[in-house]
Amino acid sequence: MDSFKVIEIKKSVFEGNERRAGELRAELGRRGLFLLNLMSSPGSGKTTTLLRTIEALRGELDLGVLEADIDSDVDARAVHEAGARAIQLHTGGMCHLDAEMTRRGLEALGTEGLDCVILENIGNLICTADFDTGASRSAMILSVPEGDDKPLKYPHMFEVVDLVLVNKIDALPLFDFDLGRFRERLARLNPRARVLPVSAKTGEGMGAWADWLRGEIGSWKLAAGRRGQEGGRL
Amino acid sequence: MHELGVVMEVAKVVEDFARERGISKVEKLVLQIGELSAMIPAYVQDCWPCAVDGGSLEGTRLEIEVLPGNAVCGACGAVYRLLEHREGCPACAGTERELLSGREFLIKEILAC
Ligand SMILES: Nc1nc2c(ncn2[C@@H]2O[C@H](COP(=O)(O)OP(=O)(O)OP(=O)(O)O)[C@@H](O)[C@H]2O)c(=O)[nH]1
Ligand SMILES: [Mg+2]
Ligand SMILES: [Zn+2]
Repeated sequence: MDSFKVIEIKKSVFEGNERRAGELRAELGRRGLFLLNLMSSPGSGKTTTLLRTIEALRGELDLGVLEADIDSDVDARAVHEAGARAIQLHTGGMCHLDAEMTRRGLEALGTEGLDCVILENIGNLICTADFDTGASRSAMILSVPEGDDKPLKYPHMFEVVDLVLVNKIDALPLFDFDLGRFRERLARLNPRARVLPVSAKTGEGMGAWADWLRGEIGSWKLAAGRRGQEGGRL
Repeated sequence: MHELGVVMEVAKVVEDFARERGISKVEKLVLQIGELSAMIPAYVQDCWPCAVDGGSLEGTRLEIEVLPGNAVCGACGAVYRLLEHREGCPACAGTERELLSGREFLIKEILAC
């Protein structure tokens, strides 16, 4: 009974997911398929924004959508009707997606012929930030009614994203959301994050958002093409 | 709550570790959780019995060490605790900083025979 001993393990629990996310990202890089991880709180306007995005890029880029936000097929159906390939992931009450679930979602969606897949992550600003999905880029939607103090409450989310869409700016006169103050708070946490003020309702700012997506998808493909050429020379 | 899924992953890692080494009984498991991570120690503790129910770790005690979330100031080099000074460095008010610790979620060690 006194032969108990301490055995050191020293292993990060996130390590497995981080490795799988890295593998998925590398594979998507080779195939030139751009995956955007889109995060936000419930009701911030993800579905409305997606519908606008599909409209803005129609005939130019083929989009797919993985809907992970709660088990309801309503959003997936709306997106499908707008003309994008879409499936609803059944996440069974999980509060975040990990790289393995994302890979399975992509397989179920079928990605042949797609330029870009947008993953509508589960509506939650805490856990989703901790789990790398293997996406090429991460973005979040923060809507005006949620307030400009969100970076103080959920710093990690604002640290991991490449872009913040500030949505519902048509409602700015009704709320005390201060864009300048928000930019300052974000810059303190993440100086390289872009901010795009938009209204998915009126369409304001949607052009700049579509341009950002075009640019990111374009450079992702270019990098894949270069890697392909290098491979071809061997 | 996301702790349960993650705690089940922890249990799996520890079970595999114990099996590979021919360890028959894990008396205690020690986790290290950074105070800035999205894992809340009390929730992790609550999930533990449920995550190991019926498995080889049933009855294993869980101990959690909380690691501080420290940053080093980019301007003056002072080290400070982020939770106490969200708005910047207490020495020089600088806002450039690098995170040193606080996001960990580590399986530190087990007590076993
Ligand atoms: N005023 C205003 N309302 C908006 C805007 N974008 C979305 N909404 C409204 O906000 C509500 C939620 O929008 P959704 O697009 O369903 O938001 P979501 O993030 O997909 O919501 P969940 O999937 O339920 O989490 C709807 O009533 C939208 O009409 C906007 O730019 N301005
Ligand atoms: Mg939605
Ligand atoms: Zn300082």
